[in-house]
Amino acid sequence: MKVHKAIITAAGKNQHTLPLQSLVAPDGISKSALAILLDEVTQAGIDEIAVVICPGDEAAFAEAAGIHARQVTFIEQTEALGYGHAVHCAADFTGDDPFLLMVCDHLYLSRVEKSCTAQLLETAARENCSVSAVQATHESKLPLYGTIGGRRIAGSDLLYQVETVIEKPTPTEAEQKLVIPGLRAGNYLCYFGIHVLTPEVMKTLGAQLAAGNRADLSLALCDIARREQYIAHELEGRRHDIGMRYGLLSAQLALGLAGKDRDEVLTHIVEVLAQSHA
Amino acid sequence: MARLLTLITSADDNVRDRSLDAECAGFSLAELLVEAEALDTFRRQSENLYHRVRALLFLYSLHRFQIPKLLAAQVSSDTPGAIPFRGYENLLQRRFEEAIDLFLKEQRENGPSDGLSSALSSTYQRLAFQTLADQVRRSVRSVKGNQWMFRMGHPADQPLRVRPELLEIDPSTGVYPILRERTPVRMDLTHCGWSDIFFLGMDYPEGAKVLNISIDLAVHGHDATPTPPVEASLRVIESPVLRLTSVDLGCTVEISNLNEVFDFAKDHLGLLKAAVIASGIVPPGIEGSGQELSDLLARVFGPGRGFELVSNVNNIPKGSRLAVSTNLLAALVSVCMRATSQARSLVGPLEENERRIVLARALLGEWIGGSGGGWQDSGGVWPGMKLICGTVAQEGDAEFGISRGRLMPTHRVLDRDDVPADSRQKLQDSLVLVHGGMAQNVGPILEMVTEKYLLRSGPEWIARQQTHAVLEKILAALHRGDIQAIGEATTHNFRQPIQQIIPWASNLYTETILEKISAEFGTDFWGFWMLGGMAGGGMGFIFAPHRKADGQARLQAIMTEAKQALGSALPFAMDPIVYDFAINERGTWADLLRGPDALMPAGYYSIIVPILLSKKRQELSALRQAELDHFAASCRNHPELNGMVQSLFDSMFPRGQAKASNREILHEFLDRYGFDRVTHEQIRSDLQSGRIGLAQNRLPANAVIEDIREGDITDATAPDSLPDRLREIGMAALQRGEVAVVTLAAGAGSRWTQGAGVVKALNPFCKLGGRHRSFVETHLAKSRKISQLAGTPLPHIFTTSYFSHGPTQSFLETYGNYGYEGPLFLSPGKSIGLRTVPTVRDLRFAWEEMPQQVLDIQQQKVRESVRSALIHWAQSVGEASDYTDNLTLQCLHPVGHWYEIPNLLRNGVLAQLLDERPQLQHLVLHNIDTVGMNVDPALLGHHIESQAGLSFEVITRRLEDRGGGLARVNGRLQLVEGLAMPREEDEFNLSYYNTNTCWIHLDSLLATFQLKRTDLKNPEKVAAAIRLLAAKMPTYITLKDVKKRWGHGQEDIFPVCQFEKLWVDMSTLASLTTRYLAVPRVRGQQLKDPAQLDGWLRDGSAAYLEGLCEW
Repeated sequence: MKVHKAIITAAGKNQHTLPLQSLVAPDGISKSALAILLDEVTQAGIDEIAVVICPGDEAAFAEAAGIHARQVTFIEQTEALGYGHAVHCAADFTGDDPFLLMVCDHLYLSRVEKSCTAQLLETAARENCSVSAVQATHESKLPLYGTIGGRRIAGSDLLYQVETVIEKPTPTEAEQKLVIPGLRAGNYLCYFGIHVLTPEVMKTLGAQLAAGNRADLSLALCDIARREQYIAHELEGRRHDIGMRYGLLSAQLALGLAGKDRDEVLTHIVEVLAQSHA
Repeated sequence: MARLLTLITSADDNVRDRSLDAECAGFSLAELLVEAEALDTFRRQSENLYHRVRALLFLYSLHRFQIPKLLAAQVSSDTPGAIPFRGYENLLQRRFEEAIDLFLKEQRENGPSDGLSSALSSTYQRLAFQTLADQVRRSVRSVKGNQWMFRMGHPADQPLRVRPELLEIDPSTGVYPILRERTPVRMDLTHCGWSDIFFLGMDYPEGAKVLNISIDLAVHGHDATPTPPVEASLRVIESPVLRLTSVDLGCTVEISNLNEVFDFAKDHLGLLKAAVIASGIVPPGIEGSGQELSDLLARVFGPGRGFELVSNVNNIPKGSRLAVSTNLLAALVSVCMRATSQARSLVGPLEENERRIVLARALLGEWIGGSGGGWQDSGGVWPGMKLICGTVAQEGDAEFGISRGRLMPTHRVLDRDDVPADSRQKLQDSLVLVHGGMAQNVGPILEMVTEKYLLRSGPEWIARQQTHAVLEKILAALHRGDIQAIGEATTHNFRQPIQQIIPWASNLYTETILEKISAEFGTDFWGFWMLGGMAGGGMGFIFAPHRKADGQARLQAIMTEAKQALGSALPFAMDPIVYDFAINERGTWADLLRGPDALMPAGYYSIIVPILLSKKRQELSALRQAELDHFAASCRNHPELNGMVQSLFDSMFPRGQAKASNREILHEFLDRYGFDRVTHEQIRSDLQSGRIGLAQNRLPANAVIEDIREGDITDATAPDSLPDRLREIGMAALQRGEVAVVTLAAGAGSRWTQGAGVVKALNPFCKLGGRHRSFVETHLAKSRKISQLAGTPLPHIFTTSYFSHGPTQSFLETYGNYGYEGPLFLSPGKSIGLRTVPTVRDLRFAWEEMPQQVLDIQQQKVRESVRSALIHWAQSVGEASDYTDNLTLQCLHPVGHWYEIPNLLRNGVLAQLLDERPQLQHLVLHNIDTVGMNVDPALLGHHIESQAGLSFEVITRRLEDRGGGLARVNGRLQLVEGLAMPREEDEFNLSYYNTNTCWIHLDSLLATFQLKRTDLKNPEKVAAAIRLLAAKMPTYITLKDVKKRWGHGQEDIFPVCQFEKLWVDMSTLASLTTRYLAVPRVRGQQLKDPAQLDGWLRDGSAAYLEGLCEW
């Protein structure tokens, strides 16, 4: 399944300024969080990108997109009707094509040569189905993420057959429905913030809206898991939620330590530590 | 392979289900010991949990019943073997394996003995139940949905978040909404033969089946309509604390410290704390982490916030057998789960998987709180009628490969095809539910049932099979709406299988009510139905529908009458109640009360408002002010808050009359029964200064305590061990009328009813000769038989006290002295003591210095918490101050049985008897609970021939025989009271235990008092003589448990201090020749604890007693 289109959602009530934050990327150049994301997406081979934004944000986002601005289509979510609705706002953009879906408040750092996005796209191309990136997450973080239940695919260390999806489950529910053999106790596979999805997902969201309900992506994905092949990929990388308390700082540290300025960053850390104990 | 092992390991059900008792018949002692060795080896090696447990219980049974029987039949001249003290210590510390090894080593080296077998049986039994309890605990923890709570150890890991709806303050009232859960209780229409015990259901899931019905209740004649009896309310508060309030128990607490959440016995809010923990808000894994409760609450409810949880039970007393506390726990767990998104719906019913997790959490909560119910008890969470069945463990279950059954049963809600609406209505039109007023500890029964099941005890196993057929009959009758057939089935169940399994399922109270109802209603009384484990609590009576109203009215009257008649003989916790009930077809249900409707139960305000009003308005938070305003406004327009102003006044300005009159009664009693204020003040001062106390009861540490030597006792343990000549001497004395019996009947038997204040002598303890008989009646039946044998009526004296005299006299009058033909006297006590609050020093000595049975881990935690609360109580009330905060009779105490014989001299009873029988030479004194003793002519003959002043009867020691024994103290032979033992281990070197049965030569005794028969008419001389001898007798300080009852059937147990002088110390007097006789155990053993009864019935003791009686 070859993917050419990507959606990045940035219309959340508390997140629409996050992509505009400036960070120093691993290459040592200061750029916005949005630009860093767009770097990753375009380098993975995607050339059409839609960013779903709040009304009135386009100018700021276009500036933040930097050199990628001309590849980006901005789509406004005119009513704050939740995440699923934001994704569906890009339904016309994706049409009958599969698409990459990302959130704007996360940055990703791969532990291998290929970026996280590239790893996922590769799996989608090979397996020819929807694939979501997941990460083993401690149960204390369950209130933050959608979580999948399923089983490991034979012969693969990192791929899982998704059987169910529950958005922000309680550990009580997770323990009953989402335990995955092979993970450490108290750990579950939570969404990483990157998905490659078939057009069916967009249709399901549309159906939810047409029925007068809230569009709920987790429900839609749960539905997809029942109807078609749906895989979760435990990526070799880390996500950094820049919306969390000190999230931006920790993302910056991670980017810095992963790039060419590693020594400089380390020196800064040591200095701060020494001064704080002086 | 050893024969008994096949009963455990055979693949054939028919072999496995054979009765152990039957299989043991015909074994010799040597063969049984070989079998026991094989079982012990097997249980150490077996991987299978239930194989191990069955082997342990087999070993228990062999050493409790089979081996002692064969040992008793052997004639042996050896001194009985001692029980190694170190083994006993290990047993107390729950180091069961080490204890068993030590006992077995002793058995190998010195041969088997009755004492060693008692130690082994007790240890094997404890280990069996510990193994089972460990497994249940593991299963409770490993239920999916419970596990994470044990992993969570830091507030930052708390994954639960409050539902946003609960954070929406109502703009009109300014208060947060209240989430309220209302839950029915459950009744078990079949009485499942206790098959809902976990141990049973997890081994025999096919046999674990109950028909469980959710019901609403109302107190007949008091409440308008039946409502769900339990409710739980939850609300967010603007303070980082946990505020718990129990409306039914009238208490509230604000907790800001994490450790306090796990301190279950500190207050009466243990159930609420257990719910907070089991629901995951304060998960069990965080116990002892040293973290802040406020941080944890902040994660769930937001910074600076906490929550309050309120429980309410509508007029249903404790011990109703309707699982009120488990369903309340389930309601509390459910409301906490809903509030933290652990249930999909905030309001309305729960989904099936949510009900199951509530069940699992309620089990967890009960385990955390150190209590435990059956697995059907949370049935009120489900709607209507349901069949709850044990389930075979499958691959993937935590129990698979360990136990045959799963911890959690399955519930099938019966639909209208199973039981049509018409049948449900008919059941409600015929059934009358009542609470008889008795509340007893059901724990021992559950162990007995488990034990009998695992041993496949013959008649009980057959009875268990019959209960399955009863269930099928009831289901079929429900389907066709035949309520009369249900009545027949439940009556049959009660009369046959249930009482076959546990004879204690009925008692004199139940039988009295049944007899009267049957006589009054004839064929319109369709059946009786027993609820739950112990008699006298929850019961059901099924009437023809047109007589139901009569039935309700008459039951109230009959039960009240019967309670009045038996109130001093049986432990009643409250007045009997008749209920109205309705089947609840929706199960547990939640509502979100917002704005003007956001009110807690009315009783909540009676507790909270006075606390708030005692503060200045500016000291109250804005939220509290808003709440007070909201409450004040609601009092005007909410009908359920009618009368609130009056009840607030009552709670803020309680009337003092009742207390004053209680004190007056106390003083009247003290004056009437010869209370010695001077001695009392002396004792208080000595207690406070530490001159007397538990530690000072002991003989000096340098006292040498040794076992007896050869020739110190006469062995009369084997049948016919005394020559016929002695029998003839005794019989001749009986014929001449030279003997009288003195039964000590002054006490309450603290252990018998755990301090319930019942006259033990009148307690109808067992069915003998076809009826329930009291201790008094039983002793008279033995005297009747001896009288008939001798041809001369035997005088029988019961000593009484301030406490037992009136009731005993009234019983004897009511029952015409139980038809006793001989002279019958009551000897009223002439001394009385006032209990005091114990000193902390004595409490610590009793709990920390004395060897203690360590409990299972969670129960031990609860016990420690109770003890620290009691130490706090003693300090705050005042150490050694008068104990007056209870019913008058519970504040007083008899001053020890040493005084009973002097009382006979003082109160004129002996003088009167001597006027009638000047030939009287001997008295035989014995405890009320030494039921196997009688005036045995041969023992009497021995006493006469030996010319002893006193002849004490002793028995060989078993593990449970604690409290001193026969010893050489610094070389001198005497009885030593347990309280006086300088070192605990000394007692274990003593082969014989004192039965307190004592033959007394009257003139020798009078001489010891420096009295003659003629002096008995001179009260001053008698009083002076008693005072003189009393001064030589040691005074012991003891702690006794007393119950304080409150609320609806609630009870608290307090340790109180009292002093005693004991008859055994007469054996220390050099002026009195004292001899000792070893008698058979069946004669000398005492019934101290109701938990002994079942073994007593099974080991032949009851049959032995029947042989001594003429009813």
